[in-house]
Amino acid sequence: MRGRAAQYSFVAVAMVIGLLAVGQLRSQSRPAEVTRLSAQELSVLIETLTQRNRELRTGLADIREQVREYTLLGSQGQSAIDVSREDLRRITAFAALAPVEGQGIVMIVDGDLDAIALNDLINELRNAGAEAIAVDEVRITARSVAIQGALSLQVDGVAIAKRFSLRAVGSPEGLLAAVERPGGIISQLKLFVSATIQVRQSESVQLPATAMSLAPTVGEAAE
Amino acid sequence: MTLRSARAGLRWGWAVSMGAALALIGFVGYAQWNGSLARAQFTTSVQQAGARAVLNFEQEQAELREQIGAAEAEVQRFQESSTTSSAALAELNSQLAAARLAAGLTRMRGPGVVIEIADSNRVVPAGENPANFIVLVDDLRDIVAALWASGAEGIAINGERLVATSSIYGVGASVLVNTAFLSPPFRVEAIGSDGLLDRFLLDAAFRGRVGQRVDLFALEFATAPGLEIELPAFIGNTRFRWAVPSEQVQ
Repeated sequence: MRGRAAQYSFVAVAMVIGLLAVGQLRSQSRPAEVTRLSAQELSVLIETLTQRNRELRTGLADIREQVREYTLLGSQGQSAIDVSREDLRRITAFAALAPVEGQGIVMIVDGDLDAIALNDLINELRNAGAEAIAVDEVRITARSVAIQGALSLQVDGVAIAKRFSLRAVGSPEGLLAAVERPGGIISQLKLFVSATIQVRQSESVQLPATAMSLAPTVGEAAE
Repeated sequence: MTLRSARAGLRWGWAVSMGAALALIGFVGYAQWNGSLARAQFTTSVQQAGARAVLNFEQEQAELREQIGAAEAEVQRFQESSTTSSAALAELNSQLAAARLAAGLTRMRGPGVVIEIADSNRVVPAGENPANFIVLVDDLRDIVAALWASGAEGIAINGERLVATSSIYGVGASVLVNTAFLSPPFRVEAIGSDGLLDRFLLDAAFRGRVGQRVDLFALEFATAPGLEIELPAFIGNTRFRWAVPSEQVQ
């Protein structure tokens, strides 16, 4: 009996060792995954992360300034209402619930783009730091997606003609460089789709608010 | 049974037990290495230096996001603490709460689905492209597109909430969501009305590419409908540098 119990114990310990070994190997997979990127891929990644971290630092500074304002003003009074009203204005713009304007780029696309290509273009603009995007007069929200309708492309239920505009507010130089870079989205699309894509910087890009209701119908705020 | 035969039996028992345990360890180790073969490449010192820089930036990003989360929570505490002071503030804070929920800046719960996708465990046949057997960024984009088209109200991938500025980006075989590196398995959680999973599985965005790749290359794929989902709030930069809210569009 003692011998058999010892055998079972040994098997149990060995199983635990095996599980721990798998866990250890998996935990090492992330650094190993990054080292497998090519030098060029790492360069693109470093540039993206540098830009994003810069934006995060700026954003953090802004939030801390807002906290200082609330601290100085107290939570009462008209001045606190003004700070909160400004916060509401900011959040509704971020959510695409309010129109925005600013510098950016304007793309005119003319040709046979499919839904995948349009979604890829929107994704590329977001990754390049676009703060707000619109396809024609359709403001892009978190839920926006291009689909292939019966007769044409549709974005958020709105038909998009073969010739359409894609406008984005953000750093004009940064957005332009991202979409026009060698091997970038435009050069990739030109290999697969029959379309002309013209891009230009703009001092004033004006985007409407979304026409969609973004209030969830089944989701609710978690306490 | 004699003492000698009893000892021989005991030795056999130990041998079988040790063999089983070692076989189990070997199998687990083989499965781990075999599952990673599709991602195996050689590295150079330049790549290692670049990789170290990336990991440092990632660490910095994680710290910044943590600080942003804490600061945002402080702002909300100030705003919520004033709800009883005046009707105007109370109304304003109600609008703020609704705006945050719509923007993805608040945790959200509700009925929904979970979709998990991971690299194939199949051994890559000779002559086949190993990239076919791993989850690519296009797979995640297609899944997300199909969920939005199916009426999802909120989506998160491995804890990264998708908002209006979110991108799903690929660098090599690696995937970044909100510029955070994500590794497989990828867990996509979505909140939406009854039938969300059925609509998703029929949607063209799923059936077109990723659905076919799951079948052809045996990508690990699982779904679970009818769950109570809680999505995290988006933590990141929500302050615009270039876009200014305007009252009207000309």
